Amino acid sequence: MRALVVVGCALLVAGPVGAAPPNLVALAERIDAHLDARQRAEQVVPAPPADDAEFLRRAYLDLTGRIPSPHDVHEFLADKDPDRRAKLIDELLDAPRYATHLAAVWRAALLPEAASDAQARVFQPGFEAWLRLKFRANTPHDELVRELLAAPISADPKAPEAVLRDPARPNALAFFAVKEAKPENLAAATARVFLGVQIECAQCHDHPFGRWERDQFWQTAAFFAGIGRQGDDLFAPVSDARRRAITIPNTKRSQPATFLDGTEPKWADGANPRAVLAEWVASKSNPFFARATANRVWGLMFGRGIVDPVDDFSEANKPSHPELLDDLANALAEADFDLKFLVRAIARTKAYQRTSAKTHPSQAKPELFARMAVKGMTGEQLFDSLALATGYREPGGRATQRDRFLAQFALRGPATEPETSITQALALMNGQFLNTVTSAEGSPTLLAACETPGMTTADRVEALYVAALSRRPTTKERDRMAKFVADGGTGKEAERLADVFWVLLNGAEFRLNH
Amino acid sequence: MRTVVSRRDALKLSAAGLTSGWLPALAARAANDPARKRACVVLWMAGGPSQTDTFDPKPDHANGGPFKAVGTAADGVRIGEYLPRVAAQMKHLAVVRSMATKEGDHGRATLHLRTGNLPQGGIDFPVFGSLVSNERARPDDDLPGYVSVSPRGFGTAALSAGFLGSRHSPLVVGGTGGDVFTAETGGELRVEYLGLPPGVGESRADARRALLAEAEADFLASRPGAATDSHKSACRRAGRLMKESAARAFDLSEEKGALRDTYGRNRFGQGCLLARRLVERGVPFVEVTLGGWDTHDNNFAQVKNLCGTLDPAWSALMSDLKDRGLLETTVVVWMGEFGRTPGINPRNGRDHYPSAWSVVLGGGGIAGGRAVGRTSRDGMKVEERPVGVPDLLATVCRAIGIDPTKQNMSNVNRPIRVVDPAGEPVTEVLA
Repeated sequence: MRALVVVGCALLVAGPVGAAPPNLVALAERIDAHLDARQRAEQVVPAPPADDAEFLRRAYLDLTGRIPSPHDVHEFLADKDPDRRAKLIDELLDAPRYATHLAAVWRAALLPEAASDAQARVFQPGFEAWLRLKFRANTPHDELVRELLAAPISADPKAPEAVLRDPARPNALAFFAVKEAKPENLAAATARVFLGVQIECAQCHDHPFGRWERDQFWQTAAFFAGIGRQGDDLFAPVSDARRRAITIPNTKRSQPATFLDGTEPKWADGANPRAVLAEWVASKSNPFFARATANRVWGLMFGRGIVDPVDDFSEANKPSHPELLDDLANALAEADFDLKFLVRAIARTKAYQRTSAKTHPSQAKPELFARMAVKGMTGEQLFDSLALATGYREPGGRATQRDRFLAQFALRGPATEPETSITQALALMNGQFLNTVTSAEGSPTLLAACETPGMTTADRVEALYVAALSRRPTTKERDRMAKFVADGGTGKEAERLADVFWVLLNGAEFRLNH
Repeated sequence: MRTVVSRRDALKLSAAGLTSGWLPALAARAANDPARKRACVVLWMAGGPSQTDTFDPKPDHANGGPFKAVGTAADGVRIGEYLPRVAAQMKHLAVVRSMATKEGDHGRATLHLRTGNLPQGGIDFPVFGSLVSNERARPDDDLPGYVSVSPRGFGTAALSAGFLGSRHSPLVVGGTGGDVFTAETGGELRVEYLGLPPGVGESRADARRALLAEAEADFLASRPGAATDSHKSACRRAGRLMKESAARAFDLSEEKGALRDTYGRNRFGQGCLLARRLVERGVPFVEVTLGGWDTHDNNFAQVKNLCGTLDPAWSALMSDLKDRGLLETTVVVWMGEFGRTPGINPRNGRDHYPSAWSVVLGGGGIAGGRAVGRTSRDGMKVEERPVGVPDLLATVCRAIGIDPTKQNMSNVNRPIRVVDPAGEPVTEVLA
């Protein structure tokens, strides 16, 4: 078993866990109280708690972006401490992978272009590296937003700012470059990601169903009016002439920089309009920011927001639990926009720790959170989990397996309604990558499961279940798989174990976050 | 593509004398099937093609640029000089010269034209191909209801089945990679991973798939919902597609070399040939993308070059469909997300222009040989018969025989019609 234990053993040794601060416990309890009240009112019978293995896998995927290693599974399942779940949450939030995962999540929100545009993809590593630094330091989220929106850019168009020096180096300007240095794109992304509203629909005309007007869109864009690039592609250097008004294209009308709530900035001498906007966006008094951020974090954990989609706050799209959302937003602001605080509180709730199995017909409405949602995995989660499960090590260099995977398995649509395409299914079933890493030559995990002496076939099957599904097989499963291996006949044991591994990694239980 | 005909099957086929003469037999069967409904092939011009240099020439105005207008097989319809073979097919084609839309941004205009709607209110609008698939694909079909050949320049939403669910999302052939708005030549058109991996024989593959179905059954049953449904559906459909008869639909090596040459030995040309193979086998919706139309610079050299790819491919598709008796049951649509400015910019280019542009409809259900709608002398304004996005899609619906007013339940629990009720079919182009 030693080889199995060594592979992918990445978890830090946990430090002493202090008593949780009272406001954290209180917030978790209030969250459950909000949800419980609504479930009672709608006569919904919530699902029971997930068992330890189900919770463990989910917490690893949601907080670190990949499944636990076999070592982590065995250790957690052996832990008898009644506080083991809270302890695990704390450990995972302190692991470096937390920052890696959140950087990937926020990058996908801020630069969705990277999924479909090859040029934009060049900026992805640098932007994620920048976000990773911020999440690793647990930079308060308001500060992160200010640093991003007000990132220093030369005011002189004759000496513009390079947007890409070294693709791997932390680079906040990737945001401006990928938005084509266009005020309208920057305004739309800022409003969507940080304020949860889609004002870009009002870019060309007043929005028929929303409350945004065309002028408001351009008033927000006006804060970015001085931004321009010297060249035609995403790599062109940018400058910011710090203008405070913008002319609506194809019209003669000019709009002054005005906040989305209609208030006008108080301009100090030499003020940078982007810094002025950032100050307003990320302020505690902003009616949108705390709610939008809390809702996004909630969506990350539950697969759907309290307002869902998470970036579409509007009259036509009301929150499922308005008081809960207010409560979360207030708590987040009081915690000075410490995202970890919110993640920690949510992860401790009964609601987050419920099984995803449907145990009662009343659990049909996903917006009541009566059972955990079954979520799709992002390309990152899927690849990193596959690599950990099989023991695959990515050789360095460009155009790696991981990059190809991310392009092919980028999560489309809402997290709770992941669309598995035929091509994705074919890639997993027949693709060279999965078939290599489920062969003894390509998978240290499988090699160890096949060749470690002194194990029964049932033991070998169990090792594969723990590696792939982060749980032990049921007796029925173990017997069925052992029979499948035995049915192959002598000399076929390794091939049949490879088939079992292939089956586990192609199955829905591995492919989904549940 | 990797051949997926097993030796056993190949032996069976040749023993039955089916390997030769199979294709004409198939075409005849397809054409004569009384239950056959119209299929739709969309030739998608990513980036927004210049109408002035193709289907709405302005030779008497400075905006017209250097290209000449030439006569076509249809009396009175003149088009740009670099589409001579398409001009010869004009009796089967109708030009709509009066498209008038509002979106001048690639992403939003693409969504508008492809879904019939602008993004709004959290509704996941399906793209038109998915809507057609939803109407036409039957659960027991081995081939998918919607195939997209080398899509380029689409965000995820522009290829999504939206609220109709993944059963109607497109099967992508030829990958989605590559530069967004550049034309592409070469490259293989294949469904990736259709063949079994090296070293895995059919019986082993069958055993694995059977074990997979058994092993995941409990999990799937315990967690009903969109995520598990989509997984099940994709695996089932992938398995079907791997069947030899289905996989062969994508094997262009079965076509005669001379015919492949006629279509043009490039990604788009071969994609059009693939489209014919697929509609012949009952796939209701196929789109083939030709990128590179975003000609802000050096418009004329680029458009001439693109026409060099478009002209042989499109005309070959028309005549090949006709030869096989399939043109009457196939609607062919040529469109992009918008047109381009009639005015020529200082870089000898044309910029985005949604206010007045052209699309072309052809084949079955279409009254060919005419041009509908008119733009002003300078091409800047629509002067007659403005056509909006819902009008266009309602027209295509009528041509293929789908009710545009039919309602589907959406993800926001509100029924949504196939085409926005504001859409009025352009009856002048309907047969």
